[in-house]
Amino acid sequence: MERRQIYVVAALLFTLIGRISSLSVTVNDVECVYEYVLYEGDTVSGNFVVVDHDIFWSSDHPGIDLTVTSPLDNVVHTVKGTSGDKFEFKAPRSGMYKFCFHNPYSTPETVSFYIHVGHIPNEHDLAKDEHLNPINVKIAELREALESVTAEQKYLKARDARHRRTNESTRKRVIGYTVGEYILLAIVSILQVVYIRRLFSKSVAYNRV
Amino acid sequence: MGMRANVRRELVLQLLLTLWIWGTLRVSEGIWLNLPASGTKCVSEELHTNVVVLADYVVVSEDNSRLPAISIKVTSPYGNNLHQKENVTHGQFAFTTQEAGNYLACFWVGADNQGGGDVSVNLDWKTGIAAKDWESVARKEKIEGVELELRKLEGAVEAIHENLLYLKSREAELRTVSETTNTRVAWFSIMSLGLCIVVSVLQLWYLKSFFRKKKLI
Repeated sequence: MERRQIYVVAALLFTLIGRISSLSVTVNDVECVYEYVLYEGDTVSGNFVVVDHDIFWSSDHPGIDLTVTSPLDNVVHTVKGTSGDKFEFKAPRSGMYKFCFHNPYSTPETVSFYIHVGHIPNEHDLAKDEHLNPINVKIAELREALESVTAEQKYLKARDARHRRTNESTRKRVIGYTVGEYILLAIVSILQVVYIRRLFSKSVAYNRV
Repeated sequence: MGMRANVRRELVLQLLLTLWIWGTLRVSEGIWLNLPASGTKCVSEELHTNVVVLADYVVVSEDNSRLPAISIKVTSPYGNNLHQKENVTHGQFAFTTQEAGNYLACFWVGADNQGGGDVSVNLDWKTGIAAKDWESVARKEKIEGVELELRKLEGAVEAIHENLLYLKSREAELRTVSETTNTRVAWFSIMSLGLCIVVSVLQLWYLKSFFRKKKLI
């Protein structure tokens, strides 16, 4: 068991060049997600999309705010009032970063987010660790480029999910409101005829109308 | 004598497990969530079929003297319970998606929490290519180092290609729904106009015959 643990830890250390998290969370008022940045100078990139919104009348989403706070409690990055955006910043120090989504309105929204912390070994790391050579740097850069493509794809997927919900809602509204309109039209016209009949069927008002 | 050795082994295993948890914590991936003292916190992801999901969760506290216990429940989009544990401090689960939709993982603090403060949980949620077991591939094909890294990059490129094809098919579905809605709007509006005209003609015809019957015209 001990050897296996060491093996697992070593394997994890070896694979540690970048980290990804992609999830959706429902934001009622403020929802915070934390991500640990191991090295200072790492590039933290990501995106978020508001997927679910139950706005009935207006077509424009009021938007949610994102605030990124560093371990020293100063704000590193902030985006206000959007329904989806990409972000990227260089971490000024290592530690636990806080990503907070704030929903200024009372309806709960579902936010789909993706955060990636990418580390490229630089000359300092090359000098420290004799197992790394310049090819590792190139591989890390290639990996980061591929991760950015993956990030774009996740963003597109979240936007597609939101578009799909709007589409489904439109389809249901078209069918529902049309059938309701037809039924209402038929009922109203029948009521009109019945009313006019009643106006004329009273023998007292026979000659007056 | 046998029982004492057992107890000692238990303690050693416990210590090793704690060390391992702390070891992986230093290098572990994933996001941290703050669970409030009462209430549930849920995270979800929309996945299509045949996606491998591998997840790890660990409760973190500043003083490792007492770790609060949490409960977790993972459900599929059709409501099936994929993983449920009560009052644990760590665990992991893995499954392959059978249905396409929203997969939900919910956490809440166990009943025997001392009632103070929020609980931090580290959730390492990996899907698709990120959940691939590269150690077994390395062992089976006896590759390591740069070749393994390049193999991982190749896997990532294939995953990108698959994702792109999936996005294309989703866009095609979306387009058919849009076009159906478009034709329906046109047809239903014309039918609505036609219905309006037909109903008013019927009304006039009925009222005319009614007045003729009542000898008013």
